[in-house]
Amino acid sequence: MSDYLRVIKAAEIPSPGKQLVEVGDRLVALFHVDDQFYALDDVCTHDGGPLAEGELDAGHCTIACPRHGAKFDIRTGAALTMPATQATMSHSVKVEAGWVYVRLAD
Amino acid sequence: MSTATSSGITAAAFEAFLAARREPKWLLERRRAAWQLFEELPMPSRKDEEWMRTDIRLFHFDRFHLPIETGATGEVQPGLLTEGVKLAGQTIAVDSWPRSARLDPKWVAQGVLFGSLDEMVSAHGALLQPHLMTKAFSARYDKFAALHAACWSGGMVLYVPKGVVIDQPLHSLTAISPRGVDFSHTLVILEEGAEATLLSETAGGEDAEPSLHCGAIELLLAPEARLRYVNLQNWGKGTWHFAHQKALVDRDASLQWTISALGSRLAKVNQHVALVGPGASTQVNGVIFTEDKQHLCYNTHQHHVAPHCQSDLLYKGALQDHSRLVWRGMIKVDRDAQKTNGYQRNDNLVLSDTARSDSIPGLEIEADDVRCTHGSTAGRVDDEQIFYARCRGLTRNEAVRMIVAGFFQQVFDRITIESVREALGHAIGRRIREYD
Repeated sequence: MSDYLRVIKAAEIPSPGKQLVEVGDRLVALFHVDDQFYALDDVCTHDGGPLAEGELDAGHCTIACPRHGAKFDIRTGAALTMPATQATMSHSVKVEAGWVYVRLAD
Repeated sequence: MSTATSSGITAAAFEAFLAARREPKWLLERRRAAWQLFEELPMPSRKDEEWMRTDIRLFHFDRFHLPIETGATGEVQPGLLTEGVKLAGQTIAVDSWPRSARLDPKWVAQGVLFGSLDEMVSAHGALLQPHLMTKAFSARYDKFAALHAACWSGGMVLYVPKGVVIDQPLHSLTAISPRGVDFSHTLVILEEGAEATLLSETAGGEDAEPSLHCGAIELLLAPEARLRYVNLQNWGKGTWHFAHQKALVDRDASLQWTISALGSRLAKVNQHVALVGPGASTQVNGVIFTEDKQHLCYNTHQHHVAPHCQSDLLYKGALQDHSRLVWRGMIKVDRDAQKTNGYQRNDNLVLSDTARSDSIPGLEIEADDVRCTHGSTAGRVDDEQIFYARCRGLTRNEAVRMIVAGFFQQVFDRITIESVREALGHAIGRRIREYD
């Protein structure tokens, strides 16, 4: 398991809001909902669409892929609707001293 | 020797690059026009069909530099393709700069040219100028093509005069050092009735440091020429590989083009064969193995321009770990290309749950008297085959290796050069994980 990497100031992402960030050699979609931060690979498991460009439903904690509408749970990465059937990778997040840190899952 | 150290791919670095090269005026003008194109063209968008499945958002031009002579003298690891092969000639280049070139004097005496394009373009400009990036390669294709046209360096040229048949293979080895770049351009010109075999390979070792290849290949076959061309991409796992490759095959000429891809972090390759004279034929073979987090994308294009031509493409790929392989193939038949016989097939063997292959064949046919077929398969290793092999005393790992070897055998059978078959078979065998 990799270490936590400092990514962005927490204040730079409104709540609710989302931001695409580079973490190591990965592109990660960061979500800020109700003072909680979540991180997913910026990859729809259906055909590789960029999740950070999709529509965030803060009430249900879901993100919809902008290509075909597959929805994912931003808290776990679970695929919730077709055409995606597999979860996208979810990463651990913590906030310290006003900064968001992400630890890549692999 | 230049000691320029301009970092980033910027206008200032481009000017320093030009100043260090001392090239003829016609070439400088072409480079400047291409640089302007590079600055004007947008980065490819993931909304473009061609780039939809290939994510280059982590690629940044400012993290690389233009090819400059570094004076590096480190040892170049030997290639894989030439074991036991007697060569007619060989070129070696490192970081887009020629290291060595030799050609058997008997071919020199017959007018064959083989060596660094950098050196040949100055010495034989009148011969090469009409061919270099004027017929096959287009700088306008995309931003990477424009960058290559502006900043190509090193590379290799093979020119075979009319009727000359080179009966021993030629070999070209290109290497990148850690954090290096390669902008090599390959130009092959076979005049009428000429024949040659060219083995070309890249090497980056086990290195995972970032590096960049932005290259191009042009194969120009005059009527009745015959070329066997093998191109092995074996960069290290940190290399970004962007390549535009195109062949023009004229009347009754024949091209056998074998590509193999084992290396790179991300590869985006356009391989295009245009059959421009009646009776031209091409056989295209692909052998691809991906692992770790590699992403390899191959766009193949069989363009039937003239009638009575034949094209036959077979790409086979195996994937493991979290890797991804994208193949998009197109057979395009023009209105005048009657009596075309076109075939394309892509088979992929997925060895792990987390690997993914995308295989997208296509036909675009404007003529009405043609035979064009295509096919695509993707699947896992068959458990029944594993069971069958284990019943005969093999372990699971031995069974998987045997099945993978058998999977590639169909394309190996089409490769007529024994050293290439053996090298690719061994290289793939070494990469297969232990599967429990």
